[in-house]
Amino acid sequence: MPAEPYIVNIGPQHPSTHGVFRMRVALDGERIVDADMVMGYLHRSMEKLAEERTYTQNIPFTDRTDYLSAMNSNLAYCLAVEKLAGVEVPERAQVLRVIFAELQRIASHSMALGTFVNDCGAWQTPLMYMFRERERILDLFEMTCGARLTVNYMRIGGVSFDVPDEFMPAALSIVGELPQRIAEYEEMLLENEIILARARGIGVLTADQAINASASGPILRASGVAWDIRKADPYAAYNQFEFDIPVGTHGDCYDRFAVRMAEVRQSVRILEQALDVLPEGPVNVGLPLAMRPEPGEAYARIESPRGELGFYLVSDGGPAPYRFHIRSPSYINLTAMKDLVVGLSVADSIVILGSIDIVVGEVDR
Amino acid sequence: MTDTGTIVAFWALAALTLGAAVLAATTRNLLHAVLALILSFIGVAGLYITLSADFVAVAQVLIYAGAIAVLIIFAIMLTPNAGRRNDETFFRLPALGIAAVMASTLAAVGVATDWPQATRGPFTETSQAIGEAMLNQYILPFEIASVLLLVAMLGAIVIVRED
Amino acid sequence: MNPLTLSLSKGTELFLAEWWDIRDLGNPVARFLELVDDAGGPDWLPYVISGVIGILAITGWLVTSQLAFVWIERRLISRIQVRVGPNRVGPMGLLQPVADAIKLLTKEAITVQAADRWVFWLAPSLVVLPALLAFAVVPFGEQMVLADLSVGVLFVIASSSLATIAVFMAGWSSNNKYSLLGAMRSVAMFISYEVPQVMALLAITIFTSTMSLSGIVNWQEEYHVWFIFLQPLAFLVFLIAGAVEVNRSPTDISEAESEIVAGYHTEYSGIKFGFFYVAEYFATFGIAAVGVTLFLGGWTLFGLEEWIPGWMLFLGKVYGFFFLFIWSRGTLPRLRIDQLMSFAWKFLLPISLVNVLLVGLEVLLWQENGLSAGLVLPIFAVVNFAMAGLLIYAWAKLMRPLSQRAPRVRLMQEVGAIVYGQEAEA
Repeated sequence: MPAEPYIVNIGPQHPSTHGVFRMRVALDGERIVDADMVMGYLHRSMEKLAEERTYTQNIPFTDRTDYLSAMNSNLAYCLAVEKLAGVEVPERAQVLRVIFAELQRIASHSMALGTFVNDCGAWQTPLMYMFRERERILDLFEMTCGARLTVNYMRIGGVSFDVPDEFMPAALSIVGELPQRIAEYEEMLLENEIILARARGIGVLTADQAINASASGPILRASGVAWDIRKADPYAAYNQFEFDIPVGTHGDCYDRFAVRMAEVRQSVRILEQALDVLPEGPVNVGLPLAMRPEPGEAYARIESPRGELGFYLVSDGGPAPYRFHIRSPSYINLTAMKDLVVGLSVADSIVILGSIDIVVGEVDR
Repeated sequence: MTDTGTIVAFWALAALTLGAAVLAATTRNLLHAVLALILSFIGVAGLYITLSADFVAVAQVLIYAGAIAVLIIFAIMLTPNAGRRNDETFFRLPALGIAAVMASTLAAVGVATDWPQATRGPFTETSQAIGEAMLNQYILPFEIASVLLLVAMLGAIVIVRED
Repeated sequence: MNPLTLSLSKGTELFLAEWWDIRDLGNPVARFLELVDDAGGPDWLPYVISGVIGILAITGWLVTSQLAFVWIERRLISRIQVRVGPNRVGPMGLLQPVADAIKLLTKEAITVQAADRWVFWLAPSLVVLPALLAFAVVPFGEQMVLADLSVGVLFVIASSSLATIAVFMAGWSSNNKYSLLGAMRSVAMFISYEVPQVMALLAITIFTSTMSLSGIVNWQEEYHVWFIFLQPLAFLVFLIAGAVEVNRSPTDISEAESEIVAGYHTEYSGIKFGFFYVAEYFATFGIAAVGVTLFLGGWTLFGLEEWIPGWMLFLGKVYGFFFLFIWSRGTLPRLRIDQLMSFAWKFLLPISLVNVLLVGLEVLLWQENGLSAGLVLPIFAVVNFAMAGLLIYAWAKLMRPLSQRAPRVRLMQEVGAIVYGQEAEA
């Protein structure tokens, strides 16, 4: 019995599309037959604006691309400039970078996990529980650099401030409590019938599809490909620390959820080791504010909570970059979404979007 | 049946039922017609109550207004032409003709019949009597009706199934 | 018709039946009606006055309960979510419901231009109507029934099936694709869950051989047992089906905020939305009241109603039932619509049918052999509990897709491997 499909807009204003993002879907009853993604509602032309500012002045821009994991974006950019200019970063700064990147990963994953369960319909209860940890981590950030969300902490050649005295006890107490909290969430959520029913077998991305779409991060790992840039192409001080890579086997929304949960555990492991070995020394090389690197190009990438975050910089010898390009993981991961969504219902598409975990600031820059 | 309450109720409910039925037949919007039909169903349930048929009245609301109305609404929603006006159809004159013939036949038969006056005692619960009748005297029609419903459900599933 | 004989039922002889005996609020009302009758006037006047008093009392109680429960629900859900909840408006946020009511009343009630005006205007009132109707047959006390219908149970079911039409009218008249989608989902859900609900109530009716709700309460009092002990499966089925019928989480698909904004009441604002909100609460109170009457003994508490007024016990139980709903809202995630419907048709319906069969056998054995109730009822209770546990467990195992074991994530040390499709060993 054919019925004509009708077009429905999901977003841009919507309580759950994680920002201003619009999907035009053609529905046949409850089933999606075609999906079209419309991005660009948050475009702020950062890449062009960055060409007018010095390298150090561009660091706050990177805060605002992926505003939920600002430390990681800062880190990626600073690595790219250091590669371009050939700068060595002191030991203490390397380990501090690892510490803050992993703290930021836990905070970002708390948000991602909480909003995913919220999209499955749980009325924000797990979200509020996970926000407890996120609040304590953001307090740590505020203690160190004065800001919670847009931290502007990393500098070219190190970090901007050294950690104050009250940082270590607070960080150690958080790291001590986290495993038990994670066990609580795993017990509440991983075996929950309704989350299994909502997320199991939904939005399956096979390993071939993921690799062809250049997906990265938890999505790639949930599809069964063991790939983590912290191990494949180590940066900062990651090769000093021991950790595992959680890899899923089915590539569905539930596996992405479980992979992120396991990654939080691994981050805690790295943090315990890093807080232990934090060496003494300077935290910054002390470069001039308007540095002029040699002409050339550099690409540096890190493993951000959402995937491979890369910065491609071209220098022409001046104080400002000639070209500043962000390889944002959310944007690339989102291109795989159409395959995932066709054939499922609207409710499923919301769950899939939550499992891909996009930040629209990064998608649109 | 002669106290004022019942008489007033009868005339009011009769007016409601007939008025709603006329509205259902003549209104232009198809969904308004369905809503008016539901109103007439509820009027009929009220008429059952004036006849002290408690079980049948509530069953009328439950089945007609609750289930059959939903069926009609789904049927309207799923047909592509649901937005058209109710009164522009080829069958207007033939329908009026058939309706007039049926109405006059029913009226003639109703007037010509010698309706006996029921002598009722005090109010008794009807549910038990209906249940006993359905499972003693009328067991065969009861079972045939259930088989009919089963066949209808199976037929619907077979039609809708996508292979 | 003497109004005093309208709602007398064979209850206990403990009631003094004096007008100041507020253990049963029907006593002062009966005395008042006697005065009206003695003062002369038409025959139907006491009847009409008793009806009006009943309606006003029920509506007043419902509105006050609802105002209180807006605050209670928000605070309870906040405590479940490790937050504080409303605490600004008035001491401890107690005036929050008043603030909400004022906001809803003074907001502009926008009527969408392309909407169907009459139906759009009528739908909110029609949604409240079935919710209120169910209270007419619920006994709050021994003489506190507004209309002791002999087909009370059927009346409750009929009024909940009327809600279907009103919800559909609301969704369709908004002329909005999201609303229509939400309305169709709601209607499909309602009619799917009516059948298990009826089966659960049928099991009760077979035991008591009366459909009048005060008759059922009297049966429970006579045999000193509550139906929750005799019929646990029916209670569970009624609880779940009732939660779905009133659009309450974990089944509030039609108002799923994260999916289709607000479903069938997206386009309603101001006091029209207030009506939908109010109707949901009234309907939940209705299901709670009917559930308490049928399964938890209504206004009786094994003889305690001699000292504590029966209607207070009743209200306490209703509020306890409501607390169950609030708890499940704060805790459970939402199911998808097709999963919900398959749960109704493939799980609830078969087990409630088996339950009805079992109950029929039990009552037949009891009545045919003339056994004493004290001997037979405990045996029935034990057998029913065992059957309930067995049925739920066995049928859930059979419906395997609904309950799969959660898979584990593998931890790898090196990069480069591709393990898609290779399930880890437990």
